[in-house]
Amino acid sequence: MMRDVAICGTGYSAIGRALDTTVGALTLDACKAALNEAGLTPKDVDGMATYPAAGDSVPCFYVVESLGIPRLDWFEDLFGWMPAGITPVIAAAHAVARGACDVAITFRSVKRNRERPPGIGYGFRVPGDMQFRAPFGDPMTSQWLAMWARRHMHTYGTTEEQLGSIAVTFRHHATMNPDAPLRVPITLDDYFASRIVTTPFRLLDCDFPVDGAGAVVITTLERARDLKTKPVKVLAGEFATGPRPDWDQWEDLTFMASKYCAENLWRRSGLKPDDLDLAELYDGFSWLALCWLEDLGICPKGEGGPFIADGNVAIGGTIPANTHGGSLSGGRLHAISHVIECARQLRGECGDRQVKDARLGVVTAGGGLMAGALLLEGNV
Amino acid sequence: MSDRPLPLPDPETAFFWEATARRQLEILRCQTCKTWVHYPKPSCWNCSSGDLKPEQVSGRGTVYSYTVTHQDVPGYTAPFAVVIVELEEQAGLRMVSNVVDVPPEDVRIGMPVEVTFQPVAEDVWLPLFKKR
Ligand SMILES: [Zn+2]
Repeated sequence: MMRDVAICGTGYSAIGRALDTTVGALTLDACKAALNEAGLTPKDVDGMATYPAAGDSVPCFYVVESLGIPRLDWFEDLFGWMPAGITPVIAAAHAVARGACDVAITFRSVKRNRERPPGIGYGFRVPGDMQFRAPFGDPMTSQWLAMWARRHMHTYGTTEEQLGSIAVTFRHHATMNPDAPLRVPITLDDYFASRIVTTPFRLLDCDFPVDGAGAVVITTLERARDLKTKPVKVLAGEFATGPRPDWDQWEDLTFMASKYCAENLWRRSGLKPDDLDLAELYDGFSWLALCWLEDLGICPKGEGGPFIADGNVAIGGTIPANTHGGSLSGGRLHAISHVIECARQLRGECGDRQVKDARLGVVTAGGGLMAGALLLEGNV
Repeated sequence: MSDRPLPLPDPETAFFWEATARRQLEILRCQTCKTWVHYPKPSCWNCSSGDLKPEQVSGRGTVYSYTVTHQDVPGYTAPFAVVIVELEEQAGLRMVSNVVDVPPEDVRIGMPVEVTFQPVAEDVWLPLFKKR
């Protein structure tokens, strides 16, 4: 017997370019803020999940001991290639639904490692699949996904201007978000003036690295109704990959695992893209948000570029996206901020950037060969 | 050149680097369904057979996608082009490499290329590509 599940609390730590705070302290600040928003205490928590990725954060045990949680009946540290900060939220929603725990706290924290350059270190032997990339000058995620974006441009005629319109639109949203680290408006001229990282990606196509943490508390819908904030119901939480999960052997680099994830989302929820009021789409790189729009079926395949350039994803457009500024302008919190923004939009708390009458939202994370997505409903 | 990361062959990939050191390009092939399997794995992704053997491929293909990287990475000074080459033996049979005789800004999708080998250490030759 599956139980209805809701998001009942959300919270952030300080978010900044180079904070003089440990990643553990940031994590605890976010968890306390999320519990406080719900009106819960650490004594109420009996489940926990996080995505510590490649070790840039702290595991569940650190938080249990530091917050004074008496006991966990369910926990998961989700390592490896997973769809970023949405991963623990989906896992916790399923755990609460099946009764493994009643109040689960989930978090994603990031602290940039400023000692180590990106990619692989110098002068050593590279194991695994990376032995077929790093020796050819191809150690960075930006390069792998740039080649997906390039293939999409080749196949569908997607343009640099259209990629630029993603960055410009999300920055405009960030100007209305007091918590966003990048709030100065930009134009397409600014976009074209930003330095090229790896074609077709410029600096403004890449997420903005920050230190910070976000946390989300999940409980049953029934219990959430008695808590401090309005419940946001979790209608579906899905993961997917495809038959050739690899950065260059993937069957066709013009679509991502998001295609399979979206099929699961719509089939299992019985809903359709037209039902959505807003979308918080993973934008580690601009093109990922474009591809998610297409793969979700919000616009036809191949038409994401014109769809965005025509203003459809701006606040006030047909389907506002990344209303907090996304990762491009809201900071690289690895999608936990996308979950928090969607929940707050569906509670109607977003001030100048509030999407009018927002009731149904989708949150997505992951790019290339991995995908995760949540369907959230407000006013329940 | 000396700071270029080098491959660390393992029991599943050693044949590939031993072949390139002989200036040959070998890819695992399923002996049951004849599917080419790359990157090397002990089982065929198409039919699950474990009967795989390295076979020499033509070394001819086309550029499937590319990126011109404008920041230095270990062993490479910007700007330089990274390509995904699709080999002519099978749709979707791809490898990451570089095109040695084309300026980065002139690399294009669909460009026909063929393999060439470049020594980067005493025991390591990289399969790179040149325009054909
Ligand atoms: Zn086979």
